[in-house]
Amino acid sequence: MKKDLIVSLILLAGSMALYASLSLMEEPAAASFPRVVIVIMGCLGLALCVQAILAKQRHERAVLQSNHVADSGKERNDSAAAKKFPFGTLVVCFVMILVYFVVMEKLGFYVSAFLFFIILTFVLGRKDLTLRQGAVQIGIAFIFTAVLFLLFNKLLVVQTPKGLLF
Amino acid sequence: MAELIQYFPLALTIPNLLTLVLGVIGGLILGATPGLSPTMAVALLVPFTFHMNPITGLILLGAVYTATVAGGAISAILINIPGAPANIATLLDGHPMAKQGKSQKALYMCFISSLIGGLFGMLIMILFTPPMAKIALKFGPSEMFWVAIFGITVMAGLSSGSIAKGLFGGMFGLLISTIGYSPMLGVPRFVFHDVLIGGVAIVPALIGLFAIPQVYSLTEKLYTQIERPDYKPQKGILLKTVIENLKMVKALGIGSIVGTIIGVIPGAGGQVSGLIAYDQARKFSKKPQDFGKGNPEGVVAAESANNAMVGPSLIPLLTLSIPGSPTAAVLLGGLLIHGLFPGPDLFLNNASITYAFIASLVLAQVAMCIFGLIMSRYSYMVMSVPNLYMIAAVTVLAVYGTYSVQNSFADVVVMFSLGTLMYIGNKFGFSAAPVVLGIILGPIAEDNFLKGKLIAETDVGVFSYFFNGPMNLVIILLCAVSIGYSIYGEIKTIKKAKEG
Repeated sequence: MKKDLIVSLILLAGSMALYASLSLMEEPAAASFPRVVIVIMGCLGLALCVQAILAKQRHERAVLQSNHVADSGKERNDSAAAKKFPFGTLVVCFVMILVYFVVMEKLGFYVSAFLFFIILTFVLGRKDLTLRQGAVQIGIAFIFTAVLFLLFNKLLVVQTPKGLLF
Repeated sequence: MAELIQYFPLALTIPNLLTLVLGVIGGLILGATPGLSPTMAVALLVPFTFHMNPITGLILLGAVYTATVAGGAISAILINIPGAPANIATLLDGHPMAKQGKSQKALYMCFISSLIGGLFGMLIMILFTPPMAKIALKFGPSEMFWVAIFGITVMAGLSSGSIAKGLFGGMFGLLISTIGYSPMLGVPRFVFHDVLIGGVAIVPALIGLFAIPQVYSLTEKLYTQIERPDYKPQKGILLKTVIENLKMVKALGIGSIVGTIIGVIPGAGGQVSGLIAYDQARKFSKKPQDFGKGNPEGVVAAESANNAMVGPSLIPLLTLSIPGSPTAAVLLGGLLIHGLFPGPDLFLNNASITYAFIASLVLAQVAMCIFGLIMSRYSYMVMSVPNLYMIAAVTVLAVYGTYSVQNSFADVVVMFSLGTLMYIGNKFGFSAAPVVLGIILGPIAEDNFLKGKLIAETDVGVFSYFFNGPMNLVIILLCAVSIGYSIYGEIKTIKKAKEG
């Protein structure tokens, strides 16, 4: 509930900021359609804000009526669920994709894709990594990249970022 | 019908048939893979079709779209996880059948019923699409503007738990579509960084919004253990199952008719058609108490309904640009990147492509049944693919597909940024489909809004122009009904939760 309220306030503020940015446009006529869209977005942000406040009030009433012991138990469960959220793994995945983009321009698409496949599966799958598993992962990465290369580079002649080798 | 017969051979060329078969097999595999949504599968394929001729490209997308709907039933039956929302009703009896050791029979019935329902739906589509397209000829700028808005309201109600969030997503999509140079006045809008100079193209948006959130959500479930498939091979039951399936006329009829009707209604979607058909089949059954305990009629009704929906759901898409489901919205993106704009133009100036595409959809239904029956023996193997490989493969394909359309690294950056933002949005109850539709329909909405505004300023005034006339009023009413129905649904859910 609180989360929804914060999100709706962010959306509302974002809509207002975007509306303000319309004044920077060189030609006012070009802003007419975006203006209508932003105004509707602002109204929807406001509606979400009201919805979140009403939901919060409903929740508070329900909590008052219900047993406090049960509720605190639920809160404990919620915090346990929050602890289980693999934030670290997601950050690792995000960073690896960013590095992949940077490397792609230097090494070319196919080499970077092959390396990305191997490193990602090694890093994210490190818990179950054995010598055999590692060899399988390298093999799959090689086959996957080779199929992409043959299918798209040779058959469909698709342009990809060129690098050191391809 | 004459045009369809005339252009049917175009779908029968060797490269097109080969593409169709590959698309069907790929669609069945992708549909059966838990964790990969059919919408994402079609979105990832869109850029690759860009390098093919339009007929072949659309055949590939149509085949994958058709097959993923049926393929989703495999995981629904074997591991109780629907591969697509359209397969929710299938698991109610399909999985109990699998637990009774009848998984193969359930899979066979699923593909046979899908074929029958699918062909029925295609017939309705072939009969009703061209006349509907003629109605669209009468639409002027104001009607086209409202049609675009109607499409967004439909998708907003369909894919979000909250209509306000869905509509916000749709409006955000419309706003994204205005980034870059204004098409009429040539001035830059919202270009906060160099990568945005060219605007946000459809392909990076499609891939980013559907594939990148999937990469993150697969990462979240990296160590989640999936239930072992309940698969016990049974030999020599195909013919017996076909005969038994064909005898279930009532369930097949209910499924096909319900699926077709629901399919034509924009936004109702396969999930609804399967559940309604299942419910009706139970009500009309002599043994309603057996439903939910492994009654084959439940599988037959649900599967014939969700495939019967495929053809009719394309009627509003091909005539008015209103997709019936998120996957159909992606298909719309596929049409647009080939320069094909839904409406009468599709049937007049691009008749060969359009009718060959429709013919291929009929063929895809048949191929889906044949390959589904063959692959059902081995389909359980698909469910053993670790998330780890899917994360890497989807990311590489997303980057590759995005870059390859315009050879632009800026597109890759836009794709990844939008995708990461959408993943965060998903966590707060926003969904990708309305945003995508907003981006796709944005240029249509803006173009017609500005044209209408110019006409109106020299004539009756902007308000009168957009809010008068029977066609405008009907479409505005439909928008209001679509929003009103979603609000009613939300209030009902809140009341139920209060009572519960």
